[in-house]
Amino acid sequence: MISKEELEYLAQISKINLNENESRKFPKQLDKTIEYIDILEELASDDSVILDLQEMKIEELRDDVVRMSDGKQISKNLTEDGFLRGPKMK
Amino acid sequence: MSNLHDLLAYEVVGGINGGLFTAEEYVSSILKRIEDVESKLHSFITLDSEGALSAAKIIDRKIREKEDTGELAGVTVGIKDNISTKNIRTTCASKILEDYVPSYDATVIKHLKKNGAIILGKLNLDEFGMGSTTEYSRYPPTRNPWNLDYVPGGSSGGSGAAVAARECTVSLGSDTGGSIRCPASFCSVVGLKPTYGRVSRYGLISYANSLEQIGPICRSVRDLVMMVNIISGKDEMDNTSIPSSPITLNNKLGKLNVAIIKELITGSDHEVTRTIYSASEKLKDIGCTLDEISIKNLNYALPSYYTLASAEASSNLARYDNIRYGFDLPVEEYKWDTYFSKVRENFGEEVKRRILIGSYVLSSGYYSKYYLKARRLRSLLRLELLTLFKKYDLLIGPTMPIPPFKFGEKIDDPIKMYLVDINTVIANLAGIPAISLPVGFSNGLPIGLQIMAAPFEEQKLIDASYDLENSITIQRKTNAI
Repeated sequence: MISKEELEYLAQISKINLNENESRKFPKQLDKTIEYIDILEELASDDSVILDLQEMKIEELRDDVVRMSDGKQISKNLTEDGFLRGPKMK
Repeated sequence: MSNLHDLLAYEVVGGINGGLFTAEEYVSSILKRIEDVESKLHSFITLDSEGALSAAKIIDRKIREKEDTGELAGVTVGIKDNISTKNIRTTCASKILEDYVPSYDATVIKHLKKNGAIILGKLNLDEFGMGSTTEYSRYPPTRNPWNLDYVPGGSSGGSGAAVAARECTVSLGSDTGGSIRCPASFCSVVGLKPTYGRVSRYGLISYANSLEQIGPICRSVRDLVMMVNIISGKDEMDNTSIPSSPITLNNKLGKLNVAIIKELITGSDHEVTRTIYSASEKLKDIGCTLDEISIKNLNYALPSYYTLASAEASSNLARYDNIRYGFDLPVEEYKWDTYFSKVRENFGEEVKRRILIGSYVLSSGYYSKYYLKARRLRSLLRLELLTLFKKYDLLIGPTMPIPPFKFGEKIDDPIKMYLVDINTVIANLAGIPAISLPVGFSNGLPIGLQIMAAPFEEQKLIDASYDLENSITIQRKTNAI
């Protein structure tokens, strides 16, 4: 069972505030999920299995060239002092 | 002529180019349809009527001036609201992005516009694509056009319902663990999750980027082929995209070897099983061979999927930190950490649950127990499927193990909700293409057949689906709205 402390720790490393309802409901729900994925333990730890499905070669990557973006949208939201202003939190 | 809003995409293109009606008349009929049914359905989060009408006028002018209008001229497309659209709000059905207006178009949107398609608006989904019903959206859930008391499937529920209800000609969804195929099955429309890499993900707001693909939802296989050919292709903005050959219709490949996946049948509802067996008989009638096979690693697929998807979500959603995206929250009252946590409390419950599980499986002590094992399973499953595809062209089973269910039935039990994805996650883990095709009904509720093929073998999926679509007689139009 995930303890209250463990839940608080997970919330802290995930940087998420939980409300009272979530703090009450989540331990049981997360427990059930972890119990469900526990079946993965049955799988052998076989290091010979290749984990990457797609191999990417350096030459397949595009050239690292700086390109100017269309700045119109951004400049629309700029304040007089040059900062971006987001919407108020409701 | 029937109502304009009932037309399929190829009929719309033909009608507009042939002068039977104008693009403006067509778009107006679609907007009227939306006005009539949207209050019951809740498919749309944002509707851009003005933008759609002015795009239609441009097409009409091009036709008058005999300019090229593109292969999708006048086709109205609804877009899942996790795909970036320039100057149209893109919310991911989340409070955290409620006012976000992208400054650029996703590559798929660029392709659509270039080919004359008209972007109609943004469609409902479970928040960030996490869910199977749209009940996890922060907006009212979308209702199933075949029976309004039932869920439309998810996470691309708005994309499935809007097409089935003729609120748009076609739509785009995204599929991380079945999010295109589930609503396609539940709403009796055709939905394709392409091979990983066929379609650029640039502009798709990431949830689990090693699993997800954008794909079309349509009312016919012919429409689906038009759409997938337009949105596919190598894109320099997405290094996982890969060039692919166009798909053709009526490309008789000859006899296809098909196998039913036994485990997907045995775990399904009785009516679903009966309908799938009857559809597979039709496959035999159209010249396919039929076997029954077993997949050894199937038991581990869903736990592996939820481990990987949650791990990737916990990383991808870290960007919502109120610096790059978020609100105008004064910094004075908060410390560094509490500031982020305060903003991120705006995620919905399911998103929070998955982020927490993701942090758990990636944390010290659990990483090798869960995350590494899930990745190993993924490789083993892919290898097993690739071996099967040496013998069989197609693997089939029910898209969903159950018919659509009522609202509220599973919302308080995450595991019950996750289990409905059990048949669809296989294709995402293996990176293979999969389609859901309407094949029947159970008590008036749709049932879909899932067909899977080897990577980049979409042509085989289409060959079988097109023939099957023509040989199955089912109700194509809902009377519920």
